[in-house]
Amino acid sequence: MEGSAMTTALFTHSDCLEHETPEGHSERADRLRAIWKALEDPAFDALDRREAPLAERSELLRVHPEAHVAAIEAAIPAEGYVSLDADTHVMAGSLVAALRAVGAVVSAVDAVMAGEVKNAFCAIRPPGHHAERVTPMGFCLFGNVSIGAKRALDHYGLERVAIIDFDVHHGNGTQDLLWDEPRILFCSTHQMPLYPGTGEPRETGAHDNIINAPLPPMSDGAAFRKIMEEQILPALDDFQPELVLISAGFDAHKDDPLAQLNFDVEDFVWVTEKICDIADKHAGGRVVSTLEGGYDLESLAASTAAHVKVLMERGA
Amino acid sequence: MNDTPVEKMSFEQAMAELEQVVQKLENGQVALEESIQLYERGDALRKRCEAKLQAAEEKVAAITTDAAGNPTGTKAFDAQ
Repeated sequence: MEGSAMTTALFTHSDCLEHETPEGHSERADRLRAIWKALEDPAFDALDRREAPLAERSELLRVHPEAHVAAIEAAIPAEGYVSLDADTHVMAGSLVAALRAVGAVVSAVDAVMAGEVKNAFCAIRPPGHHAERVTPMGFCLFGNVSIGAKRALDHYGLERVAIIDFDVHHGNGTQDLLWDEPRILFCSTHQMPLYPGTGEPRETGAHDNIINAPLPPMSDGAAFRKIMEEQILPALDDFQPELVLISAGFDAHKDDPLAQLNFDVEDFVWVTEKICDIADKHAGGRVVSTLEGGYDLESLAASTAAHVKVLMERGA
Repeated sequence: MNDTPVEKMSFEQAMAELEQVVQKLENGQVALEESIQLYERGDALRKRCEAKLQAAEEKVAAITTDAAGNPTGTKAFDAQ
């Protein structure tokens, strides 16, 4: 099937393990190992597995000023950890991991836009959706998914790109980076109240280009599906995106230790199918999904595998 | 954070700390990894406030439901 668009690509890199976090930290390399192990199953043999390249600096500058990139570079210690905030720590391997993470998303957009593959999943860390223009936070250094969206607009000349973020935490970084970008519709579901405290419905972007749909603690998959069907899916359909990106955090799963939503694997399957429906209708099926959170290894691996399986079924 | 165990707090103590917790969560003044513990603390405080309110309501009900509408004192009840 090589060279055919009838497949799903998996972008990842072993350098993403080299961003080590302090003992006991939730955002740990074992998350990625658990996902890789799940994707070793023969059910995933048809994946087009690709190594994520290091992102060019110019890609980071699509959403961050030079000063932010320089500050992250300068913060990286030769040994030990440096804490950028209470959650976000960098060490020697962090920059390369972060550049692989961005590189994965950029390359996934390229592969999908070139028609090499129908859709793609980026198994990456550190995650990106909390990183603001000049503020690394919440385990995130660079705005991975936003950079991919901007590349699709500015390099490929697309006019409408959608991002759906179903991570349990609000994608404050994505919102900050794309607040004034009318060519992108950013839709986020998340628990509220919870970190980072943003994501009220009244936060709609400079061009009504942001939809925040918070869920109260203990909400289950039925509440998630309702809010998707009533608010987000109709808005996506109206927007008619030419490419759909996903900030795929799996920490709304009921077993996740950092939040209190009660989704199960089937809810992630459901939303992936619904997003693929939108992409099939308006975007030629083009979907690029990127890993964000998910901190219970078992449910993270199972949810990610189920999500990728849907992408494969829809990409076939 | 108040050192008094939540289950021994007065309504005023619990409510004051609950307001602080809500403000911190809303202002994003708390780390991602601690956010959930803070929420759980808030939930415990909320339950304490509700329990104290319910106890007060029962006390009022005990007064007002006395015979012939005349308040004649309070009935004993279980809530502390």
